[in-house]
Amino acid sequence: MMNQTTPATASQDALMAADLETDTIADMYLTFDIGPEEYGVGIAGVTEIVGMQRIMPIPDMPDYLKGVINLRGKVIPLMDVRLRFGIVERSYDDRTVIIVMEVGDAPIGLIVDGVREVREIAASQIDSHAQFGRGQGRQVIAGIGRLDGGVAVLLDPSVLVSDGDLALGRDKGVD
Amino acid sequence: MSAAGPEIAPEGGLMRVPSERIGRLMDLVAELSLSVAETVRSPDLVGLELSHFETAVHRLMMIVREVQDAATDMRLVPVDEVFKRLRRMLRELERQTGKKIEMDIQGAETQIDKLVADRLYDPLLHVLRNAADHGLEPPQDRVAAGKPEIGSIILSAAQVGSEVRIVVEDNGRGLDRERILHKARERGFFGPDEEPEPAALWKVIFEPGFSTAENVSNLSGRGVGMDVLNTTMAALRGRIVVDSAAGQGTRVSLHIPVSLAFLDCIILRLGPRLFAVPVDMVAEIACPGPHDLPKLSAGGGQELFRLRGGSIPVCRLENFFDGMQAEPRSMDAPPQVIVVFQTSNGPLAVPVDEILDRQQVVMKPLVGRLAQVRASYGCALLGTGEVALVLDCERLGAVGGLP
Repeated sequence: MMNQTTPATASQDALMAADLETDTIADMYLTFDIGPEEYGVGIAGVTEIVGMQRIMPIPDMPDYLKGVINLRGKVIPLMDVRLRFGIVERSYDDRTVIIVMEVGDAPIGLIVDGVREVREIAASQIDSHAQFGRGQGRQVIAGIGRLDGGVAVLLDPSVLVSDGDLALGRDKGVD
Repeated sequence: MSAAGPEIAPEGGLMRVPSERIGRLMDLVAELSLSVAETVRSPDLVGLELSHFETAVHRLMMIVREVQDAATDMRLVPVDEVFKRLRRMLRELERQTGKKIEMDIQGAETQIDKLVADRLYDPLLHVLRNAADHGLEPPQDRVAAGKPEIGSIILSAAQVGSEVRIVVEDNGRGLDRERILHKARERGFFGPDEEPEPAALWKVIFEPGFSTAENVSNLSGRGVGMDVLNTTMAALRGRIVVDSAAGQGTRVSLHIPVSLAFLDCIILRLGPRLFAVPVDMVAEIACPGPHDLPKLSAGGGQELFRLRGGSIPVCRLENFFDGMQAEPRSMDAPPQVIVVFQTSNGPLAVPVDEILDRQQVVMKPLVGRLAQVRASYGCALLGTGEVALVLDCERLGAVGGLP
């Protein structure tokens, strides 16, 4: 029904495979690229991954909410994660994908530079968020997963899709 | 049939079907109609000569439309059930107000979407309480005014076009213009010298927090029930119309669409954005001449649309909504078209680039982050696979006149 772009299909398969081992699903993360960094979200909230499609802009939204798509009869708002993080916008290409998630009973699609893989990251390999960010409130960074030859920044989707400012530990003005 | 299947009632050939099954069917019918529209409008067909195909498409579209109607009809129930529950409340109202009330029910067989019927009780009870508590006078006052001692409330329902109108009418003292106007001015709804039309004035009694009851009774007068009424009416895409004559009574009508499943809409385009407007909100469509859109410097640049000697306030969607910068229009772009919406605050002129189509759309509620979009009922899924925002013209009109 839906045309998938090649990278999306590849990771969709990975998603399916991961689905089979439900006992370890809490430790499973879908990782994706934003610029040179690798980010991750818990796989439990991920519904599917689709290729970029025509976005219908919607007014009254902050600039990082680019609009909505009609995904087989479901209206899904799209968040450009780069813009959400205040990183410079980048035009979408054939690696750009939408990670569709269910957060707090509402669907949201995250536009990311590309998906990498589904990884198992045990809790012992995750440094807790308390050491990052600066201060009060809930942090968008839930933890930092240590990987072979790198790290993945694990995000808390409910903070990501909230309308609050993100305290990213990056000094962006003093407002 | 399995044990969980529909039960066939022995007496009248009626079936009990779980409502989620009907909901499922409605969803499928909606998807079917979208999918059919997507197929027959496929860009692959552009430029092909397909006369037989066209005939078949025409027939298919007719059938889909009929299936839609039939599915919608399945969920219609008489308003009787809600009316009966309200009648049971009458004794309680009499006891609490110390008034004698006679209630007459009319049009109880009128059909309405089950989803709507399920939500009508609370708002209607509120209107009924208002009528019993504020509308009807105490028995001694009625006798003094030469009226029968027993107050009368008529609860009626009737279908008018695609709307059901539910009316609560009392033969009480009517609304007190002076008192309501005084309070409305205090609350800033009207200027100190403004003399609003009766219909415009009566509407304020349903504003949240507006209540002129001198003594707050247990029944009403605290302005809380109004919120329930307003919220429910907004969710059901309904509107409230109030009419009153001093000494003769008050009539409150709730105008509600018969069905929430499909919405007959006109699709409008402004820049890259699509909007849908329920057909019955559109009063007319006009092409403005070069001098028909003057700006009032005194009104902070408020634009007016001149139509047949009258003036209609203009609401530009790109100004109303955030994040819609007016894209510069190229010189050879065709002139904008003006759609005049009929709101309860009077007509409102909205300029758009193009009028695309009239369609039965499937509406999806705005959930999650989309809930912050103002003046919209939801998203309409179009046959092309595109998404349009369904405009709530009432809310657009409520603030649209201001710059």
